Amino acid sequence: MEPVIKAKNISKSYQKGILALDDVSLEVNQGKVLVVMGPSGSGKSTLIRTFNGLETFDNGELNVLGISINSSPDIRNIKRIRKRVGMVFQQFNLFPHLSILDNITLAPINVQNRSRFEAEEFGMLLLSQMGINSHAQKYPGQLSGGEQQRVAIARALALKPDLLLFDEPTSALDPERINEVLDAMRNLANQGMTMIVVTHEINFAKEVSDQILFMDSGKVIEESTPDIFFSNAKHERSRKFLNQLIN
Amino acid sequence: MIKNLSDNFTIFFKRIYKKLLSKYSYIFKSSLVCIICIPIFLKLFNWVIFKFNWNVVISNLPLFAFGSFPTSKIWRPIVWIIYIFILFCLSILNFNKKWINRNLLFGWISSIPLGVFLLYGGIGLTPVMTRNWGGLTLTIFLTICSLFLSLPIGIALAFCRQSSLIIVKKISSLYIDIMRAIPLISVLFFGQLLIPLFLPYGVEVDRVWRAIFAFTMFLSAYIAEDIRGGLQSIPYTQIEAANSLGLNQYQIMWFVEIPQSIQIALPALTNQSIGLLQNTSLMSILGLVELLGVGRSILANPEFIGQYIEVYIWLASVYWLICTMIAILSRNLEKKILVRKSYF
Repeated sequence: MEPVIKAKNISKSYQKGILALDDVSLEVNQGKVLVVMGPSGSGKSTLIRTFNGLETFDNGELNVLGISINSSPDIRNIKRIRKRVGMVFQQFNLFPHLSILDNITLAPINVQNRSRFEAEEFGMLLLSQMGINSHAQKYPGQLSGGEQQRVAIARALALKPDLLLFDEPTSALDPERINEVLDAMRNLANQGMTMIVVTHEINFAKEVSDQILFMDSGKVIEESTPDIFFSNAKHERSRKFLNQLIN
Repeated sequence: MIKNLSDNFTIFFKRIYKKLLSKYSYIFKSSLVCIICIPIFLKLFNWVIFKFNWNVVISNLPLFAFGSFPTSKIWRPIVWIIYIFILFCLSILNFNKKWINRNLLFGWISSIPLGVFLLYGGIGLTPVMTRNWGGLTLTIFLTICSLFLSLPIGIALAFCRQSSLIIVKKISSLYIDIMRAIPLISVLFFGQLLIPLFLPYGVEVDRVWRAIFAFTMFLSAYIAEDIRGGLQSIPYTQIEAANSLGLNQYQIMWFVEIPQSIQIALPALTNQSIGLLQNTSLMSILGLVELLGVGRSILANPEFIGQYIEVYIWLASVYWLICTMIAILSRNLEKKILVRKSYF
């Protein structure tokens, strides 16, 4: 079966000489969870944002869900990818002027041309899966951070995506609220959703991931399964990072 | 109930005592204020109630309200003003019915065609010439038409000013800069005197519409700048989120950028609409008999000659009342938005 994401030698630089992504290659298969770890500024977010066209890259080839994009992509291809790839941000980025339910139904109604009734029904289903269906008529500002992030996950799921991208989904939450979001993500992984997660949560990575990618200064330092990575990392840099994170 | 009321009174007087009379220095300051203010107020009341001859206002009330609109058709402006007043009440009272809130904007916009139909006539109603329009009706008509026409134009100008096409950007910023550099009165003169010269022979645009055109041209430049301020304060992450959902450029504009920028710019827009209401009085110089124009024409009547103070106090209080209503309306809208506002 063809991999969901196939990246080959992707490079990107914001300024001349400083590479944000340096020759990154990776493959993610259907139903797998890839966790991307690394210190800040290592290019994790840039990498994950290239997958739905929020960032462009300078060299290399990328194939997302069978749609290939290159360094100067066709906007129509990016649109086609975005319709099938959901993204969850660190700062939630809900629309503050729309109610929770409207936040979720905005894209299905206007991008996928579904009827309002159908979209709202599916939206309520997603909200009850996330355990927040009682808040459907509230506004994002009235919810706690953890609830907002779960709404953001529901919003990404409303397009029935084939791939979900998480860009540090728990970094803006206070420690008590982290678990409710991680639980929701765990459930998704168990349901067989293909996910790429940028996170610092070691326990989540150990439990859920099938594959771990460790990056530093734009390069992929190490790519292995979680068993090997957390017990017996091959590379000196990743061992150092893990020690820092655990202590 | 009565006990509750008396409790409230005691609390009220206690508070007055504590704030104004509980210390010697407080007593001194309070009595000083009283000594200065009481004679002024007494004199003012004496003037307002006994000295002034309010006959000039009372006998001309229909004139102030409707100008020289034919008496037999006077129900038409009355219906229109009642419609607007009902809209106003619906907007400030908080109904938690979603369909009311959804249709309010539509109601406000449809007040323009309704007003045109009722005042102008046509389709079943006998036409009334615009030279017979006047008074408060004309003031409100000018304000509402200019405001609702310049809002979409202002929003379009604000987006054009941020456009990536350099020609569109330059033209719209040139327009905005020119309009903001010209005083309103000269734009109004342009509308009244020059537009007829530019029009082809035989085409005539009515005076009221020329005035609305001039106000719209002027106001849209200012509204564009207010909206631009709103657009610039929308965080870029909002656009990114909309992009990642697959919305296209125009959908992002319509569903994300415009509502948020209007919410941010609301206090500034209120300011513009109050300013517009007062600026419509400039049209009395250019021959439209709106509220101030009615006042001027009444003062020109030999019967009421020299009664400036009564007429202008009356006009000032009417303008004050309407401006306060606009302010209340916008404060209510702001409160509604505040409830939804995010922490981040």
